[in-house]
Amino acid sequence: MSTVLQLKNITKTYGDMRALSGIDLALPGDAYISLLGPSGSGKTTLLRVIAGFEHPDGGAILFDGKRIDTVAPHQRGIGFVFQNFALFPHLSVAQNIAFGLENRDVDPVTDRRVVDARVRDIISLVGLSGLEGRAVTQISGGQRQRVALARTLVTEPRMVLLDEPLGALDANLRARMRAELRAIRERCGVTFLHVTGSEAEALAMGDTVLVLESGRIAQSADSDTVYNRPASPAVARFLNCYNLFQGRIEGGAFVGGVGRFGLGSAAPTRAASPAYAIRYDRVSVRPREAAIAEDEIRIEANFVASEYSGAAVNSFFALDDGRVFEVESHLSHAAPETYAEQGRYALVWKREDALVYA
Amino acid sequence: MNASGIKTGLGAYTALFLVFLYGPLVVLAILSFQTGPEGGPQFPIIEWSTYWYKHLFGLTPPSRIAPLPIEQALVRSLGLAVMTMIVSTVLGVTAAQAFRRKFRGSGVVFYLIVLGMMVPGVLVGLGMALVANTLGIDRHWWSTAFVLHVVYTFPFAFLVMLAIFNRFDPSMEEASWSLGVTPARTFRKVTFPLIFPGVLSAMLFAFTLSYDEFSRTLFASGRDLTLPLAIYGTFSVEVHPNVFAFGVLTTLFSFALLGTYAALMMLSVRRAKRVAIQEEA
Repeated sequence: MSTVLQLKNITKTYGDMRALSGIDLALPGDAYISLLGPSGSGKTTLLRVIAGFEHPDGGAILFDGKRIDTVAPHQRGIGFVFQNFALFPHLSVAQNIAFGLENRDVDPVTDRRVVDARVRDIISLVGLSGLEGRAVTQISGGQRQRVALARTLVTEPRMVLLDEPLGALDANLRARMRAELRAIRERCGVTFLHVTGSEAEALAMGDTVLVLESGRIAQSADSDTVYNRPASPAVARFLNCYNLFQGRIEGGAFVGGVGRFGLGSAAPTRAASPAYAIRYDRVSVRPREAAIAEDEIRIEANFVASEYSGAAVNSFFALDDGRVFEVESHLSHAAPETYAEQGRYALVWKREDALVYA
Repeated sequence: MNASGIKTGLGAYTALFLVFLYGPLVVLAILSFQTGPEGGPQFPIIEWSTYWYKHLFGLTPPSRIAPLPIEQALVRSLGLAVMTMIVSTVLGVTAAQAFRRKFRGSGVVFYLIVLGMMVPGVLVGLGMALVANTLGIDRHWWSTAFVLHVVYTFPFAFLVMLAIFNRFDPSMEEASWSLGVTPARTFRKVTFPLIFPGVLSAMLFAFTLSYDEFSRTLFASGRDLTLPLAIYGTFSVEVHPNVFAFGVLTTLFSFALLGTYAALMMLSVRRAKRVAIQEEA
């Protein structure tokens, strides 16, 4: 796959705040890329720099092999879908969609019939048929989202930037739009760069997931790799499915606040500071007196509360150092266990399942 | 005090407010129907008549009371108000657009602009007259007075537009740019239609402020008088009810102007809604 967008050492500071501190990345054409980052990690800034709404302090942006960091936004040919959709409230649905075609600087379409035909095609592609004449203030959030998308796609950009495009929708609609966004992108064959703060959304949508952490790309990989092998403790924390321990490596074991954990055979991942991560759903809860196998790690903790979510139940335990430890049990093959309030249990996991950073 | 007491109090206050707002106007309107030419500008009404309205338009037989010398002045004042309205609104919109981004010295420039509506009018008028005399420039309503009218009304237009831009969502412009539309065309096709209600308000402000401006015009307009000056001039001789009749007519004109403004506003606000209603019908 050819590279469509390349960033080289992009930096951007606001006053004393470093929003982007040296971003390097190359995005392939015809792909769905999700950019995951906690709030304040610089993800919206990065998107606005690529679109040209903000100027980077340093570095180079190459789009289709040409440098564009000094090119005005309207000459970049990169589409942008805003979180608040930013539709033109004085225009109807069809007029909003036709706006770019009719008014763009390069190659505007003046033939009424061509405009109408292309607007009609894109309206049926995004599923807005019948709403052409509606005012954009008179349609629902999901429909507005589609207008925003159609308005951008009809101009046939090589790449579309989406800034938390599902953030303004309710949970049900968000799940439906995920699948639809992917389908629409595949039919159009453009590159989508989708910014989100939700790890579930990023993993579900992206062919490639980029994780942004304090103005840097912390990891760039497919969903499976990001989820199972986060590149750093920060990425693991942000995925919201790992129990993390701080500590040090000492004589073939990890020494943390609640004990020594024997290490598995895999070499530790390099990181800024040592850490130990075990996924919520790799841990089993057992009575204190139960025996453990040779390759298992065991700690004790007090049960605090649990949270039932249908397919799984998440139980929270208080460790002896006061920190909370979370265990996720899938219910597909088992009924939910009930644990005694403040009861003491053994939490057990396989040595090989843990991720160790050193 | 209990809730109903507060209600009564506020009601009485509002009633008083309305009396003081419209009372003088009502008295004026009643006295304008005094009989003429012998009736004077005071109660009681000797006999109801429309004599003074006819007198205004020269439809009465000649009498010792000269017609109001306002025909020229009215044209001048309207011309001046229109000129001021156009220039101040254009300046106001462009200046407010510039203030959407912080620039070096923006604070100083802001206060310089707003100063135009703060400084006492008589002093500015006098100052302008002195400057014009020193430089040997003739004073006219369309030159020195016009400049002062713009200086005076521009801050109002500017502040109105500043408030409008404050609530304007810049991502709509960014969306337009990202569709390949130039900033200039974006302003014309997206920004301007959306700020248009604000532009109308700015125009209304500039027009009405200029139309009845007195103190600045007094010294700066030279020989040819504007309407407020001409009317004031007639007071120095003797007041007749024809001035009241004229007052009623200009008030009606102002209401017509406001009505037009309201209608234009409603049109621009309702446009989007109407589209939707047609769709559902």
